[in-house]
Amino acid sequence: MTDLDAATRDALAELLLAVADDEFVIGFWDSEWTGIAPMLEEDVATSSIAQDEIGHARALYELLAEVTDDDADRIAYGREPDAYRHAALLNHRRGDWAFSVARRYLYETADAVRLATLARSSHEPLAQLAGKMRREETYHLLHAEAWLRRLADGPPDVRDRLADALRQLWTDAQQLFAPLGGEELLVTAGILPQPMAAMHAAWTARVRPAVEPIAGQLPDASPAADGRMARSDDFRWLHGEFTMVAAGDEATARW
Amino acid sequence: MSTNERIWEVFRQEDEGDPMVHAGNVNAPDEELAMHYAREFYGRRGESHRLWIVARDAVTELDDPDLLKPPFDRSHKKPGGYIIKHKLEAAKQRAASEAGE
Repeated sequence: MTDLDAATRDALAELLLAVADDEFVIGFWDSEWTGIAPMLEEDVATSSIAQDEIGHARALYELLAEVTDDDADRIAYGREPDAYRHAALLNHRRGDWAFSVARRYLYETADAVRLATLARSSHEPLAQLAGKMRREETYHLLHAEAWLRRLADGPPDVRDRLADALRQLWTDAQQLFAPLGGEELLVTAGILPQPMAAMHAAWTARVRPAVEPIAGQLPDASPAADGRMARSDDFRWLHGEFTMVAAGDEATARW
Repeated sequence: MSTNERIWEVFRQEDEGDPMVHAGNVNAPDEELAMHYAREFYGRRGESHRLWIVARDAVTELDDPDLLKPPFDRSHKKPGGYIIKHKLEAAKQRAASEAGE
């Protein structure tokens, strides 16, 4: 890491934190389905995918901890809610099954674009990790697409719920490509091989034709500078859940 | 979801060239989700080289006892149905005496 100047290193840390927090928070939201998914097999599949996402977050936090000389657990569990940098898409609570499917589809398609880009990063550890994550995310995406089609082809009330969720989440999903403060430095250094705006264009071109037949015409929406800044009450509740053990007092805890 | 679920039998192969062994089954509404669930149940720990996922209703079953367990003695269709010990001994003795000539 010594070959990066301080400003570029800060920008890399910002990028890693954004991706790690996305994976971490969607993993925790989807783990809320454990035990209550529509059928036993789906319960296992959803829980396993949620676990994969938290595993990816862990690897990214470890990479970040090397860059900032910090501790991965402290980054994951030791921050106040306002210090998290996940996209607005992940501010919403689990919702019903159609809502979770809609969110997973929007997320996985965006993540596929992002990982394809990061796998070409000039920052070798990040390129390697993104390559490994892609192998697992391929399956996550297939799973999300299977459910999207299934609900879209379902009875009218199912289709309506899915369409409502897609409309509700559309603007917040754009924020997965919210511009980063030090983005220009990252692009110049090849750490981020293409700007967020270019990734956003690639994602939109793929996703709009897939979801508009279900949800109707969706509004023009763009990533916003504060797309990763606002924290919701839903997220504050989740934060309380996932930090509960780390924040607990070991001396008085009873297991 | 439960109205159109089907049962899928899953077979797994541990390594290339190994026999496909019945692993168990999963419920799934269609082939695509059956594949995902089979992967989760019988492949997610890296324990399988290959999976076969077969709709149970695509399996032709034969369990007719008249065909599989016929009532008459079928011991002549098994190697153990022949008592050949004394024949073997006689053959050995004959071979020994022929060699000694």
